[in-house]
Amino acid sequence: MPLSIIDRAMAMREERGSGAPDPAPRVPAAGVAEPDAWYFAVRVAGGRYAFAAHLVTEVVRLGPLTRLPSAPPFLLGVFTHRGEILPVLDLGELLLRRASPTRPGARAAVVHADPWRVAVLSDEIEGLIRVPRRRIGPAPAAQGAAEFLQAVIADDMGDIAVLEMPRVVSVARTRSVPA
Amino acid sequence: MSDGSRQLVLFQVGARVFAAVAADVRRIAGSLVEREEEAVAETALGRPWDARRGLVVGAPEGERTVLVDGVLGLRAVPDSEFQSLPRFASDILPTAALAGFAILDEVPTLVVDLPTLVREGEPGRGAGPREETRHHA
Repeated sequence: MPLSIIDRAMAMREERGSGAPDPAPRVPAAGVAEPDAWYFAVRVAGGRYAFAAHLVTEVVRLGPLTRLPSAPPFLLGVFTHRGEILPVLDLGELLLRRASPTRPGARAAVVHADPWRVAVLSDEIEGLIRVPRRRIGPAPAAQGAAEFLQAVIADDMGDIAVLEMPRVVSVARTRSVPA
Repeated sequence: MSDGSRQLVLFQVGARVFAAVAADVRRIAGSLVEREEEAVAETALGRPWDARRGLVVGAPEGERTVLVDGVLGLRAVPDSEFQSLPRFASDILPTAALAGFAILDEVPTLVVDLPTLVREGEPGRGAGPREETRHHA
């Protein structure tokens, strides 16, 4: 089983002997009930990832892709969806350098974090998940694999890496520039 | 550009079909370029397989010929069938020469900014990241 992005970040932090505290659960003030948070979760390359729920506008099936010349491997191409041209991001390739299979009709979550709107290819759509605030911790304080992370959710099925779109785009840009 | 449509030249590089605004093309030539330095073979679009044709483009120093595998023809495309490159793609692609898409027979076809393609193809001016201030088509 490959290391997930969270495993990698944790391992890096341990290697560096970082004194950063563990992502402690947030405890609401006595008598104040914090509302649960909503996320949209997908499975990619054996890991679980999520975006803030309000960023995911719909789930679509990929149409025929138009490949883009000079595009990095994680930018698979574009396709038209209801007259709109959407770029397709292979999250597995970007995060873990493991290409996701692009079978016909594969599903993707459309993430809209202004100004970006992108179809994120996934192996499996988990969909909306409701998370008690106490289960949301800060991202591990590590470089490298953790650079995309906004937070980490611990639920009954394990950890979920919450991705921050501006960081994803920023790192994607850096990796797309030829050496 | 006139009456709400644009004239495009459709051409092929390798297996891919691209489009360019016809007004950017001075003429269509064979691949036999009088001066080798005028030819632009390796671009962000890739390298042509056979380079049987050339798109002659104006450049500050004269003319440059973008070598392509074939010219498929001209086509008038309504303005409504043009879309800019999605911001995510334009932020990530290491070239500014991809101006957007023309929807041709329901297929998004890349519209190439030939002057920019030529400029990027000049020695010492390899394709770099887009400028933040670039206007989208």
